[in-house]
Amino acid sequence: MQRTKRKSLLIILVTVWTLIAIYGWQQIYGQDDKSLTKVVIGYQAGDEIEIAKLHGSFVKKMKAKGYAVSFREFQNGSAMMQALASGKIDYGRVGDTPPVSALASGTKLTFVGAGGTRSLGSGIVVTKKSWIKKASDLAGKKIAYTRGTSSQYMVLKTLKKLGLTTDDVNLVNMDTNSAALAFAKGKVDAWATWDPYVSKAELKQQAKLVVSGSDVGVQNRNFLVSPTSFASKHQELNSLVVKYLGEDMQWANSHTTVLTKKLAAALDLDRKVVQRMLERRTFALQKMSQRAIKEEQIISNLFYAQKVIKKKVQISSYVEK
Amino acid sequence: MNKKSITIERMLPWLLPLGMVLIWESAVRLNIITLDLLPAPTEIFVDAWNLLRTGELQKNLSISLYRATVGFLLGGSIGFILGVLNGTSKVCRLLLDSTVQMLRNIPHLSLIPLLILFMGIGETSKVTLVAIGCLFPVYINTYHGITSIDPRLMEMGRSYGMSRVKLFTKIIFPSALPTILVGIRYALGVMWTTLIVAETVSSSSGIGYMANDAQQFTNMDTILLCIIIYALFGKISDLIAKNLEDWLLEWQS
Repeated sequence: MQRTKRKSLLIILVTVWTLIAIYGWQQIYGQDDKSLTKVVIGYQAGDEIEIAKLHGSFVKKMKAKGYAVSFREFQNGSAMMQALASGKIDYGRVGDTPPVSALASGTKLTFVGAGGTRSLGSGIVVTKKSWIKKASDLAGKKIAYTRGTSSQYMVLKTLKKLGLTTDDVNLVNMDTNSAALAFAKGKVDAWATWDPYVSKAELKQQAKLVVSGSDVGVQNRNFLVSPTSFASKHQELNSLVVKYLGEDMQWANSHTTVLTKKLAAALDLDRKVVQRMLERRTFALQKMSQRAIKEEQIISNLFYAQKVIKKKVQISSYVEK
Repeated sequence: MNKKSITIERMLPWLLPLGMVLIWESAVRLNIITLDLLPAPTEIFVDAWNLLRTGELQKNLSISLYRATVGFLLGGSIGFILGVLNGTSKVCRLLLDSTVQMLRNIPHLSLIPLLILFMGIGETSKVTLVAIGCLFPVYINTYHGITSIDPRLMEMGRSYGMSRVKLFTKIIFPSALPTILVGIRYALGVMWTTLIVAETVSSSSGIGYMANDAQQFTNMDTILLCIIIYALFGKISDLIAKNLEDWLLEWQS
């Protein structure tokens, strides 16, 4: 009796398990359309690509041109650059810093397009309890940042402007998730980060943005990059992607209410947090401008001078013509 | 009397988890813990319900289960075959064992860049990581089970004139089975832990992705939901392994 009961329990469990696993297999491999050329685009939560994904018209327009677009989410820019280096994604939306580090370490990538800046929504936030009232109070304080992301550039630029060096502050390198927790628990005094983390910290933890990108000349522009081997062979596709994404960005700028609702649901964030993020940001995506190239060159030069990267990088030679 | 003690025995394992949930809920309700850092169990339940309604939970759950199963089957079979080879043949043992032992202790996390480079960011790399995780427990236990067979048993088999195949099916495999099953049970646990690691690599589906995505904006309710799902999955896989053991080792008792 006991034995048959055990046996039937085992059979039921294994059958249910297998059925669910088969359902999962269908979820992954079920909806492939073979007639279209595949294009894989990497993105990060809440960025231009995610907006285009939510809006949906980009995918439709690309489909009409014979391309099946699929999206890949990455936790941060440096992970995305790793995937890009091995050609696993065709395009990627990334901040200003990761492509510079990637180029310096030998990754062959091409800047295909430039996005808007985020200078008002990026910066260094301080906790309510930290007694930091202005940028110069940061001296000697514990500042969290993430190596290889734009927060590193933010910290270096801020220190430079204050006339301090990295020895004058206590810099802690941690990934964004850990930094968010450490900041919320008051384990660090300040945190160099970007929206929506900044707006979330401001609204949920009464944090204060003591240094914003615009204070220290950090544009924190977004870029669309592609592996050089891919970009050089698909120039028509490059301009299509930039054009269609640019159209979606115009939609994003003029439909803030709808976008707030959609983004808040997609990111599982409070609407107020998303609203503040959208208020201080203008979306765009266009071909690389001289100004954008110059901004990247400045980052590259500062990183080289500070020995963050070991090789000098001439940005203009990695730009889609 | 006897019946009563059985019911108590049944309930005892659940006492601690349920008690903790109750204390937790009341601690949040009484504002001893702030809601932002630790949501109440009821809120996690609401979150689960919302995710079920959007279809996200089912999708991610089934995809995770698929990856885990394929990885486990793949890694488990390779581990078993290697274990049998090395357990039965001295040449194989000398050739392969020390290499396997070296590979065994490499942390899975450090393999990720290598896997991305060779296998990309698709399903292959995730399944491979799970397979690597499941390979070693099965290998070690199979190998150990086979090498620690009573030599007198083997001697007896040989004196009966058993062929190599018969020796394996009648003596080696049955006597190593209990140890092999321990390996499988352990591998089922490792399967889930490696899967979380695997699913943090540029994935856009799976429970590991859900947890990671929630972590990005510190959505504690979803994070805790994922932890609970992992715990339940762990319990279910253990239940399967345990029942499998009881069923296959019936002859021993």
